[in-house]
Amino acid sequence: MAERDRLVMRGIRKSFGPVAALDGVELRVRPGEIHGLLGGNGAGKTTLMNILFGLYRADAGEILVGGRPAHVRSPREAMALGIGMVHQQFLQVPTFTVVENIVLGTRLRNRPGLDLAGPLRKIEALAERFGLPFDPRARLGDLPMGVRQRVEIAKALYRGVELLILDEPTTMLTPQQVDALFASLKVMVQAGLSVIFITHKLREVLAVSDRITVLRSGRSVATAPRAEATEHSLVRAMVGEAVDVDRSLLFARGEHEAALAQSGQPVRLALEDLSAADPEGRPALEGWSMTVRQGEIVGIAGVAGNGQHALAEAVMAIRPRQGRVRLDGADLSALATQQLLARGLAYVPENRWEDGCLARASLAHNLILGAHRRPPFSAGRFLQWHVIHTLARALIAEFNIQARGPEAQAGDLSGGNLQRVMLARALSQEAKVLILHNPTQGLDIASIEFVYQQLLRHKRTGGATLLISENIDELFLLCNRIAVIYRGRMAGTLKRGQFDAYAAGRLMSGMPGQDAEAAA
Amino acid sequence: MDGWESFIGLARLILLAMVPYTLASQGTMLAGRAGVFNVAQEGIMLLGASVGFLAALRGGSLWVGMLAAAIAGGLLGLALAYFTSTLKMDQFVIGLALFFVGLGASSLAFKLLVGVTLVLPQIPTLPDLKVPLLGDLPVIGPILFNQNALVYLSALVSLGLYYYLYRTSWGLELRAVGENPKSADSLGINVTAQQYAATIMGSMLIGIAGAYLPMVYTGTFTQGIVQGRGWLSIALTFFGGWRPGLIFAGALFFALVEVGSLRVQIMGGVVPHQVLRMLPYLTTILVMIFAFRWVRVPAFLGQTYDREKRSLS
Repeated sequence: MAERDRLVMRGIRKSFGPVAALDGVELRVRPGEIHGLLGGNGAGKTTLMNILFGLYRADAGEILVGGRPAHVRSPREAMALGIGMVHQQFLQVPTFTVVENIVLGTRLRNRPGLDLAGPLRKIEALAERFGLPFDPRARLGDLPMGVRQRVEIAKALYRGVELLILDEPTTMLTPQQVDALFASLKVMVQAGLSVIFITHKLREVLAVSDRITVLRSGRSVATAPRAEATEHSLVRAMVGEAVDVDRSLLFARGEHEAALAQSGQPVRLALEDLSAADPEGRPALEGWSMTVRQGEIVGIAGVAGNGQHALAEAVMAIRPRQGRVRLDGADLSALATQQLLARGLAYVPENRWEDGCLARASLAHNLILGAHRRPPFSAGRFLQWHVIHTLARALIAEFNIQARGPEAQAGDLSGGNLQRVMLARALSQEAKVLILHNPTQGLDIASIEFVYQQLLRHKRTGGATLLISENIDELFLLCNRIAVIYRGRMAGTLKRGQFDAYAAGRLMSGMPGQDAEAAA
Repeated sequence: MDGWESFIGLARLILLAMVPYTLASQGTMLAGRAGVFNVAQEGIMLLGASVGFLAALRGGSLWVGMLAAAIAGGLLGLALAYFTSTLKMDQFVIGLALFFVGLGASSLAFKLLVGVTLVLPQIPTLPDLKVPLLGDLPVIGPILFNQNALVYLSALVSLGLYYYLYRTSWGLELRAVGENPKSADSLGINVTAQQYAATIMGSMLIGIAGAYLPMVYTGTFTQGIVQGRGWLSIALTFFGGWRPGLIFAGALFFALVEVGSLRVQIMGGVVPHQVLRMLPYLTTILVMIFAFRWVRVPAFLGQTYDREKRSLS
């Protein structure tokens, strides 16, 4: 058995300070297979792969590549062993061209010269063979994310990898691009490569993998061939006892109460002809108009970087904007962010670390941020710390935040726990409108489930929700309506009952919306 | 004919003055392209001036002095690289600390080897080297081809750095380190080695820039010899957009301002000389206001790279 495996990782341990990220993980990958590595955030998938790729050093354990013990101390050694990795955040130099990015670090034969004609031909041949279209002469920073990912894969193939690691490769892609990616992967494994496909999306891992290993809390809990795995068995393995799978929203089959039509309710939030620019002054959002009714969840779908961030910040007056924002009919266009918060608009930003919290401040401090000038937290000029701490303790219990207490630093929390803090803050301040941007990105299943339950609770109490998400499944699960954003404009809308991933995908890539209507 | 004479004289002075700016800025640029923002130029130049002068005095040759200044600068560069690249400490704090180290060490070395004296010892200044044939051309000859060796060297260094950065795979790797060290690292480029090499080489150039001052202008070392040229070279590096060619052109401009303000000072007149002394700095501020609109600094400039740090962004 062992000699059939291209890669064996056994008993891998790794700690970051007091936290054990990996605790005795085992992984075996055969030649010519797509091996799904499944697990929630914090399960240790990326850490394990970073060890294999030589970016982190394992505290214990052994790695065999091609049956031989391998001590991978740096990415260079990993690449010498035929291991390539496409990171979740692409490791690219935006100011370089595609070719320069691909050849970077390879020992060009004409070194130290920089003659790129030979590499260019090789890259074009690779791109052709594996179905990865891109312009090798383009400046990388000008390319959309889907293309940049192809470049990243080509970078590994150019180095002659035998084992390709893809870390959450579908996050930035439309459904069509995901299909194209999977087709490319199939060509690669037919050519004898092995692919490790890291994901937390069950559907994708079931669609493309030959075998699947599930990680949970730094341990490998199961490896199974695709034929023996079901969505249900994988979820069980992923979440353990943390989520009641049968009653879970996340894995709900068919329609549920989220889908209940909310027509006839009064309009809560109205955006009229909203426009905003990005920090460089280019238009990022143009003429955006929409309404959200009471008890309605309206989704914004789109490939990352199409103006979602501008939309959220424009509504919250975080960046200068033209157009009108109305809440329950009242025009709030002239109000500043602080006043919008007081009126009942709450915002959970995409980047919870940088835009959402004060990483070095306490939980208590973070939980009242935005409401800190209002009673009961502030009496005149002074903060009422006893009130704040009482509230913080209550919220920590209510939202099940894993932290030492109100004094814990926000920056020390895990992604899931910090997101609970964000939601606790938004919902505890009696929000009428909740604006969320990728609220479940990077969260484990239990936390995702929690977020969804909170959204439905908000919905039941008549709150309006604007859910901006790059996860189309999430939008289909929760939303009454979905508007698709493409290059800062509304490309089209989908109503519940007409939701179709391919129709959405076409809108997300800027194709005319006729098909979407027709598909309905 | 007299007009030509004075034009040639002025042009020669400008080329002389541009050498320390060029070398110091190219050195700053080189380290910056690897992501290390060196702010110790003033200190490194002072140390280079002191060590270069003393070594030339004792060793009997200006070239010994140049070499010693380069080594002294390289040592400060090594310290900068060690503290920022290996120990991951803040580049600005370490840079400023090294400025003071250079400041103190330059005076100390002078006091130890020369002592306190009323008559400062002198070294000969760098001789002019006439390029055969080209040196005989009218006007251009005396301006461009009858200069000291370092004028030629600073042009060659600029040209060489341009080729290194943009025409070799080594340069591609160096630039990648300053743009995105994580990417470079994941491609098997030794980020630490690149940063050490660029910082040390860069600081050696800055050290030579310092040694140039006693060897061309004064023939001896005084504490005020660098006169802010180190600080100005940081501004020049930004002005030149961290590109060797533009830095070379920018150095010409900075030298023009320096020589021009001296010239006005000598001619006398209504402008107080303190104002003229301020001129290079004022110009710098004005230039920075405009330059900063279009310069692209290396994306990772001034930040420390730690491979195992789990970045939040």
